Amino acid sequence: MKRILSLVLALLMALSLTATAQEPMVLKYGTDAEPIGFDPHTVPALASTRIMLQMYETLVDVDENMNVVPLLAETWEQPDDLTYIFHLRKGVKFHSGREMKAEDVKYSFERILNPDLGALGNSASYAGYIEKVEVLDEYSVKFTLKQINAPFLSALASSYLSIVDKEAVEAAGGNLLQSSGGTGPFVLGEWVPDNSVTVHRFEDYWQEGVKFERIEFYVITDPSARMSALRTGEVDLIVGDSAMLSLAEKAKNVEIYKVRSRNYTTLCLNLNKEELKDVRVRQAISLALNRQEIIDLAFNGEAEISGFAPASMGHWAVDVLEHPLYQQDVEKAKELMKEAGYENGFTLTCTVGLLDSIRNSGTVIQQQLAAIGINVDVQNKENAQYVDDWKTHNFDLMVCQNGAGTDPNRAVAFFFSTTGSANIAEYSNPRVDELCELAAGTTNVDQRREYYHEAINIILDECPNVTFASPYDYIYASTDLKGYAPTASNMVNFRFAYIEK
Amino acid sequence: MKNYIIRRVLMLIPILLGISIAIFLIMQLIPGDVVSGILGIEETPELRAMWEKKLGIDKPLVTQYFNWISGVVRGDFGESFRTGAKVFPEILWRFSISAELAILACIVAWIIAFPLGILSALKRNSFIDRIVRVAALLGVSVPGFAFATLLILFLALVFGYYPPIKYVSLMQNPLKNLEIMILPAIVLGSSMAGSVMRMTRSSMLEVLRQDFIKAVRAKGAPERITIMRHAFRNASIPIVTLVGMQIGILMGGTVVIEQIFSIPGLGQYLLTGIFQRDFPIVQGTVLFMATIYVIINLLVDILYTYIDPRITYS
Repeated sequence: MKRILSLVLALLMALSLTATAQEPMVLKYGTDAEPIGFDPHTVPALASTRIMLQMYETLVDVDENMNVVPLLAETWEQPDDLTYIFHLRKGVKFHSGREMKAEDVKYSFERILNPDLGALGNSASYAGYIEKVEVLDEYSVKFTLKQINAPFLSALASSYLSIVDKEAVEAAGGNLLQSSGGTGPFVLGEWVPDNSVTVHRFEDYWQEGVKFERIEFYVITDPSARMSALRTGEVDLIVGDSAMLSLAEKAKNVEIYKVRSRNYTTLCLNLNKEELKDVRVRQAISLALNRQEIIDLAFNGEAEISGFAPASMGHWAVDVLEHPLYQQDVEKAKELMKEAGYENGFTLTCTVGLLDSIRNSGTVIQQQLAAIGINVDVQNKENAQYVDDWKTHNFDLMVCQNGAGTDPNRAVAFFFSTTGSANIAEYSNPRVDELCELAAGTTNVDQRREYYHEAINIILDECPNVTFASPYDYIYASTDLKGYAPTASNMVNFRFAYIEK
Repeated sequence: MKNYIIRRVLMLIPILLGISIAIFLIMQLIPGDVVSGILGIEETPELRAMWEKKLGIDKPLVTQYFNWISGVVRGDFGESFRTGAKVFPEILWRFSISAELAILACIVAWIIAFPLGILSALKRNSFIDRIVRVAALLGVSVPGFAFATLLILFLALVFGYYPPIKYVSLMQNPLKNLEIMILPAIVLGSSMAGSVMRMTRSSMLEVLRQDFIKAVRAKGAPERITIMRHAFRNASIPIVTLVGMQIGILMGGTVVIEQIFSIPGLGQYLLTGIFQRDFPIVQGTVLFMATIYVIINLLVDILYTYIDPRITYS
C-alpha cells in the first residue's frame, strides 16, 4: 500500500514538474502609446517600431559602437564606389515558411522606391541614391548607386529598409499595416486596439535561443498606472522616464536600466531673424546658458551635457565639455551683445511642445537669457501645431529633441547642410556643405571622421543651434527579467532575454 | 406620440449634417495635418506629395467632403488614414465597451445616490444628512483622474493588486471582463453619484413639502408607499433629465479614465483621431456620438410621459 502511495505521489510530482516546465514563457511589456500599424516601410512611430523590430530584419545591423555588422546579409563586397554586392544568409525563412532569397531583397527595395507607396526610406537619407537592384543568383544581390554615398551601408540597418515577403504583402492587399511578413523572431498575433498587441515566437527563426513563447505589449498611457502594473508583477517591463526614478528606486522588485541615448535636446535659432543673423548674438546665447542647471531643472538631472553629436555616437562624437562656448560666462555674453549693437537686448519667442523636458527647458532658458537682456516669450504649442511650426520654420527660438541617428551623415548633413531636410535654422556654410559632400564621398572611415569633426567644430563655433543635453533613456523591469541588455541602438532586443523567478 | 418620435428622428438629419460640416471645417482650420504625423522628421516635399495623393487630401475641400458624406449615406464611414482599418466596425466595437462601462457606472451611481439622497431628504439637517452632503460634494469635486490614480496606487502599494490589463469582452469571459470594468465603473459612478444624490435630495425636499403628500399620509398610506410611489416618482423628473445627460456624456467615453485603466473605449478612439489628424476617425466618431446623444435625449423625453402621465407630446 505504502509503495503504491509513494508511486502515485512520485507520479504526481513528475506530472506537476512537467506542467511547470511546459508553461510558456511570456514577456509582458507596458508601453506608453498605441501603435499605428506594422508596415516597416511606411510607419515611423516609436510605438510601432518597438513591435516591428520583433518581426522584421534588415540586410545589416549597427552595433553599439556604430559599426556595421552582418544580419540577413552574411557578407558584402564593394567592387567600386557605386556598387555593393550582398551575399545573403542561407536558410532564413519568412513567417510564411518560404525561404528568403535575392528576389525578395529586390522586391523590398522596389517597393520602397515605388512612389505610390510613399515609403519613409524613399529619400536621400536612406534608399534614395539607389539606381537599381539586380539579382545575381539566388543568394546574391547587387545594388548600384546613382552617386557615391558612404552613409548607404549604415542606412541599410534602418527598419525603414526592412526585407519583406512579397507574397505576404500581396496577400494583405498591398500594405502590411495589420499583418506580418518578415524574417524576425516573432510573428504578429492578436491586436486589441488601445489595449494590447501580442507577438508569437517564430519557430523557424534562423537563430537559436529565443526563450519567450510570446511577447505581449500593453498600452498603459498613464505613467503611474504603468509603474503600479510593474510593481504588482502584472507586467515585466515598462517604458519609463526619469520622473519615475524615485518610485522605482524604492521598489525591491524593480531593476532600473539607464541607457545613453542618441537623442539630444537643443535650442534651434532661426537665422532668418535679424538679431540671430549675427554670430555674436548666437554665441552670446550659448555663453549665457548654464547647461547643468537646465539638466537639473528640466530633466531631473537625468541627462548629460552634450553637443549635437552625442557621446553615444562613439568615435564620431565630439567632446563639447571643454568647448569655450559651453562654459557659462554671462559677462562675456553681455560684451558680445554690446559688440553686436544689442546692449539693450530684444525680445524673441521660444516655441516648445511635445515633451515635458522640452517645455521645462524653455522656461529655464527664458530665465537664463534674461540675464543678457534677451526677453523670451515662451509659447507652448499643441503637438501637431508644434510639428507644423518645426516644418515651416515658423519660430524665433525653438526647443527641439533630435536624434543623431546611426551615421554622422544624419547628425551633421541632415540638420546643418544648406539642403539638409531638417535644417530648420536655415544655416548655410559653404565649407560645411563641402565637408559633408566629401565625407559622403569616401568610405574610408578615418577620412570621414576627419571631415565630420571639422564640420562639427565649425557648427559648434557658429551656433545655428545651441545644444545642451542628451537625456538618458530609462527602462524599468522586473528583477526576474534576465539576459536583457538595452543599448542606444536597440532597446527592445529580447532575443536572449528570459524570466527566472 | 408616434408622429412626435418620427419628427424628432427626422430632426437628426439637419443636426448631423451641421455637425459634420462644422467638424470638417474645424479639422481643416487647426494647424498640422495627418501627413506631418505620418512622416515626422522624415518629411520631404516629394514624400508629402505622395501621401497627400494617396490619402486623397490633395483634392479640393468640397470634393473631399462630398466623397466622404456620400460614403456615409451608403453606410461606409471610410478607413483610418493611418492604420487603414475600417472606421465603422471599430466605432461599434468600441461603443459596446463604452456603453457597458456607462451602464455599470450608472448602476454604481444609483446604488449609492438614490437611497442616500432620499434618506438625506427625509432626515433633513440630521447628522446623516450632513455626512451625505459632504460625501456628495466630494463626489462632485474630486476629479475622476485623481481618484483613479489614487485608487490604482492604493490597491497596488497596499494590496499588491492591479486589475487585469488584457482586455477581454463580456462574451469571452464575463467574470474577467467585470474585474476589468469594475474599478473604472466605481470611479465614474462615484462622481456621477455626487450630483445625482444632490438632485435627488433637493427634488425630494420640494415634493415632500407639497400638499398631496400630506393627503397621502392622511389617508393612511404606509410611509414606504408614500415615499417611493408618491414622493420619489414625482421627484424623479429632474433626476431623469440629469441622469440622461450624464449617460450621454459617458457614452461618448470618458477619455482620461479609459486611458488610466487601458480600456479601448470610444473616447480614446476620438482623441487618438484628433491628435493624429485622422479625419475619417474624428468625423465618424463625432457623428456617431451625436446620434447617440440625440437618441438618449429622445428616450428621456419619452420616459417623462411614463413617469408623469400629464406630460404628452403632440
